[in-house]
Amino acid sequence: MSARRFHRQQLCIALAVSMVACALSVRPWRGLIEHSMVWHMAVQMPMLVAGGWLWIGAAISGPDSRRLDAWNRYGLTGFFASQVVFAYWMLPLAIDRAVVMPTADAVKVAILLACGAMLKHSFDRSPPVMQLFFVGYAVSTLVAAGVFLATTESRLCNAYLMDSQVAAGWSVAVLGVAIGVAWGLGALQGVRVTTRRRQGFPDP
Amino acid sequence: MPQRPVPTHTKVDRNSNRPPEAELPADGLWKTFGASVLVLLTGLVLLFQATERGSAFTTEVLRRATVDRRAQPIPNLSLRDDQGNQTTLHDLLSTDSRISIVDFVYLRCRTVCTSLGSSYQRLQQQIVERGLQSRVQLLSVSFDPANDDITALRDYAQRMRLDPAAWRVVTLASADDRQLLLDAFGIVVIPAPLGEFEHNAALHIVNSKSMLVRIIDVDDAARALEFAVAAAGP
Repeated sequence: MSARRFHRQQLCIALAVSMVACALSVRPWRGLIEHSMVWHMAVQMPMLVAGGWLWIGAAISGPDSRRLDAWNRYGLTGFFASQVVFAYWMLPLAIDRAVVMPTADAVKVAILLACGAMLKHSFDRSPPVMQLFFVGYAVSTLVAAGVFLATTESRLCNAYLMDSQVAAGWSVAVLGVAIGVAWGLGALQGVRVTTRRRQGFPDP
Repeated sequence: MPQRPVPTHTKVDRNSNRPPEAELPADGLWKTFGASVLVLLTGLVLLFQATERGSAFTTEVLRRATVDRRAQPIPNLSLRDDQGNQTTLHDLLSTDSRISIVDFVYLRCRTVCTSLGSSYQRLQQQIVERGLQSRVQLLSVSFDPANDDITALRDYAQRMRLDPAAWRVVTLASADDRQLLLDAFGIVVIPAPLGEFEHNAALHIVNSKSMLVRIIDVDDAARALEFAVAAAGP
């Protein structure tokens, strides 16, 4: 497959993920996130971040992004910003606002797309040990928040039924574990490639 | 001893997007440090603001904290009581100097409204026993006027043994006012299976100027009564 065709395919995937995620905030598909916390927290929100990562991240991570690099050495600024963004959008009151206030939902869409882009920029510039710190923090937060949502007896979001909250809690916890496993496999692959290069073997 | 293979091609940096460290601007660290501190501080301030100074993480706690800090005005809406009389919310709340404890129900409800009804029965008993009818009143407002007609209100009043001097039940005269009513009190109603609704429940204390002054948990009815008595004055 030529590089150009591969690039075009990547753009198509990025566009599809971003558009599906954005469409979930527009009627008639908006009903899905209004009625199901799983669709909101475990499908739309991760898709927005993934869309930002794939779509905008590819644009700002290119070799011409030196000016941005100076503000994001080792990916530090992007990691801190994404942590603040995740901290807010994990709050039950933020989830409620996005459901009942279309303006808040539009802000959510824009911020999570931007967050995905920032994360892509940061991951491209950070050493594995720094990635481990931030991914570890994100995974532990997602798992802890997910288990809490699933096991608490209180209905934390006024906009969702208790059953929906429990399902969303487990989904978020599984998402956290999946992110940890995906990063771990990626890091392992990186270690293998580096080791092979040090030993003088060609890249597979 | 096995021979180490000789590299057959030039090494390619897979992470080609990442510029070599030596080529990064010298002031990059300071810019990144400044930007990170700015992002963290701005984020913390925004989180602090959004959570009512770090005290409210759910909408329910937030609306209670907001009312604690500043009383909220209640809109004047047309209502209908169990006798079929048309009245307004302000008339019910402000005709005399009584403090009102208001709750929101739909009369078919078998879950949270039943618990609210039991709380109100105990409150009514205390109000009558202590002779507080001239200082405190209970008001149940149905947010489901489509189903809760005068007959349903009457049945509810009979079933709960309402004493009209202490407790009144009303419904919205127009379904169009429903969202206005719910928004004013911060109630979120969502459809549930079997034609039921799920909604947040609490005891809302409203003064005789039609201002919502406190929201107290359903399980803390005794505190709601004491607060209302204290607010009503001697």
